[in-house]
Amino acid sequence: MTDITETPGGLESASERKRKEAYFTASQTQLIWARFRKNRSAMIAGAVLVVLVLMGIFAPFLSPYDPTIAGRNKDYENGAPQIPMFWDHNGFSARPFIYGVERTRSIETNFRWVTKINTEERLYLEFFVDGWEYSLIDFNFDMPGDSFDLQFKLFTSTTHLFGVRDGKIHIFGTDASGKDIFSRTLHAIYTSLAVGTIGVFIAFIMALVIGGVSGYYGGWIDSVLQMITDAVRTVPAIPLFMALAAFVPQEWSSETRFFFISIILGFIGWPTLARRVRTHLLSERNQEYVLAAQLCGAPANHVIRRHLLPSFTSYIIVDLVISFPYMVLSETALSFIGLGLKDPVNSLGVLLQNVSKADVLLNYQWYFIPAVFFIVLVLAFVFVGDGLRDAADPYADTRK
Amino acid sequence: MLVFARFAVRRAAMAVFTLLLVSLIVFTLMEMVPGDCAERYLAFKNTQGQSITVEDIEAERIRLGLDRPFIERWVTWLGNVFMHGDFGESCILRMQINNLLGDKFLISLGICLAALVFAYLIAIPVGILAATSKSPFLNNVLRFVSYLGLAMPNFLLALIIILISTVMFGDTLTGLFSKEFRDAPWSFDKFLDFLSRAWLPVIILGWSATAFALQTVRALMSDEIGKLYVTAAAARGISGRRLLWRYPARHALGPIFNSLGFDLNRIFNELPIVALIMTLTDSGALLIEALARSNDQQLAGAIIFLLTASIVALNFMTDVLLALVDPRVRKGMLA
Repeated sequence: MTDITETPGGLESASERKRKEAYFTASQTQLIWARFRKNRSAMIAGAVLVVLVLMGIFAPFLSPYDPTIAGRNKDYENGAPQIPMFWDHNGFSARPFIYGVERTRSIETNFRWVTKINTEERLYLEFFVDGWEYSLIDFNFDMPGDSFDLQFKLFTSTTHLFGVRDGKIHIFGTDASGKDIFSRTLHAIYTSLAVGTIGVFIAFIMALVIGGVSGYYGGWIDSVLQMITDAVRTVPAIPLFMALAAFVPQEWSSETRFFFISIILGFIGWPTLARRVRTHLLSERNQEYVLAAQLCGAPANHVIRRHLLPSFTSYIIVDLVISFPYMVLSETALSFIGLGLKDPVNSLGVLLQNVSKADVLLNYQWYFIPAVFFIVLVLAFVFVGDGLRDAADPYADTRK
Repeated sequence: MLVFARFAVRRAAMAVFTLLLVSLIVFTLMEMVPGDCAERYLAFKNTQGQSITVEDIEAERIRLGLDRPFIERWVTWLGNVFMHGDFGESCILRMQINNLLGDKFLISLGICLAALVFAYLIAIPVGILAATSKSPFLNNVLRFVSYLGLAMPNFLLALIIILISTVMFGDTLTGLFSKEFRDAPWSFDKFLDFLSRAWLPVIILGWSATAFALQTVRALMSDEIGKLYVTAAAARGISGRRLLWRYPARHALGPIFNSLGFDLNRIFNELPIVALIMTLTDSGALLIEALARSNDQQLAGAIIFLLTASIVALNFMTDVLLALVDPRVRKGMLA
């Protein structure tokens, strides 16, 4: 022992051994994380994703105005983005500022309301300003039937990250009714992620039950369940659920719609996930350790819970991350054609729907800003999902 | 040959079974929707200024046979569809669904199949190139493009193309026919006009399918290229394109050919949205009309059944064709 630590080479071999020890005793999660960290594009995408998710969660704090009609700026409809500046013809300012706007109407404008930018008036950007009241945790279920109503609020505050005094700032511009597009985008990210999460969760539960039964028992149960799964998989999901969404009563509240769409997304997503769960189970079921547990007299539910599930939880998580962008995409598609979420709710699909009008294409290009966020969100998910899949593959190193 | 016949019969039976199951699912879902055909039609009449009583609804229900049990109606519907290819009457419009769909369904099926062919015409050569090339630049670019194919949905691409064409050419490029051909009977000129406008929806629909196919081709191809039989063939002196096409490509393309049905499914999923933006009067747009405006469950059911049937048919054809060229599939299926 002592002669190893004396020489510098020996020191290295001690640390080498420590590294190897850490490698062999590492849990599955640690191994996946170690491999994932080496994948640079996936790490960047992961960072972007974390930022986007945080932006979604803290949307009310980050956004200066209420994203609903209550927070609209009626003096600045279809307004261009206002980018904070440090200098103009009147000189420099250490604190960034924007110009004030006013709405006038006179004989010169043919008595139409016209928004004018006053380049002499400076509105200075301020941080941690007071604004509309919000709660970071705000559950409000308004299901059909009064007994299911549920409401509670936590972390209520009126402080917002930034804003201006005596005026309003719209860094992404405003839409046709004067709503702040920046605030709407942040809230839309939250909504789309929430719809996706519930959708993935529902799909996952169905996949786990159906795929689990089919994979664990095998035989004729497996054949029958696979036949049904395949039949469901051949039905084009979007047209089918468009058919169902069209029958959603118009008078449903936006919350009810929200849950309905989430459930629909769950039903769209389950067959693919169920197939993956089944494949995992089928390959694990025939391993020696399962046979050993069964020979020791362990009942089926013990084998599934203590031996099979831990062996592939990490793979299931990877599958969930991979299926997440499809959920967001389906939500966007359904909302885009007007059959999903509707206007008072801010989701990425609803915001993209605004883009499709002809005058928007030509005159108000800042409506496209949410589309950029949407593309970045989906790309980040795909890169992270791909990175995780490579990292979770135990043979990835040996193959290359 | 006998083995192959047995295989084909078995596959056909499975396809029919899948169709039966799908028709049951679709029929049940359409049945679970609140309100039936009679109510809906008479509610529609009500908005047209005719006053309707409860007795009228009952009489209409009996006329349509809605008082009979669910299974009986399903079997009748199924019998009409399979025996006569007859989907019955539309709920609101009171027209034969077959006349209503007419060649609209065939046009949309044609566009989707063209998009599929377009996707693979690009994906197969480029995917093989990417798998064989060692250039990290090319691979990264292709990876990014195929991810973008997923992240940039077709409707956004369609919007951007419409924007550019409006600004640059002053023509929105929407619609499938020019004004003078819209209601004209089919002729060679109309067909040419159709072709001159259909290429854009085909490319837009094929866009994300291409991206997906590219990923799959590349992954399968790079798996096959490392195998020993390729090395053996190279050692025997075969090289270049001949080696690629005769050995690894033949193995790699099998699974791709087999999954064509699911690609068609994906294109069908995107068809209604693209059709809405580009105002195509094919069955995708008709589907939205049937669903969003008049709640016509008969028409919706017929369209979804037709879409699924074409996917099942394609799956059956690819299975049989693959079994014809690949003896391993034939034997594997029967074993």
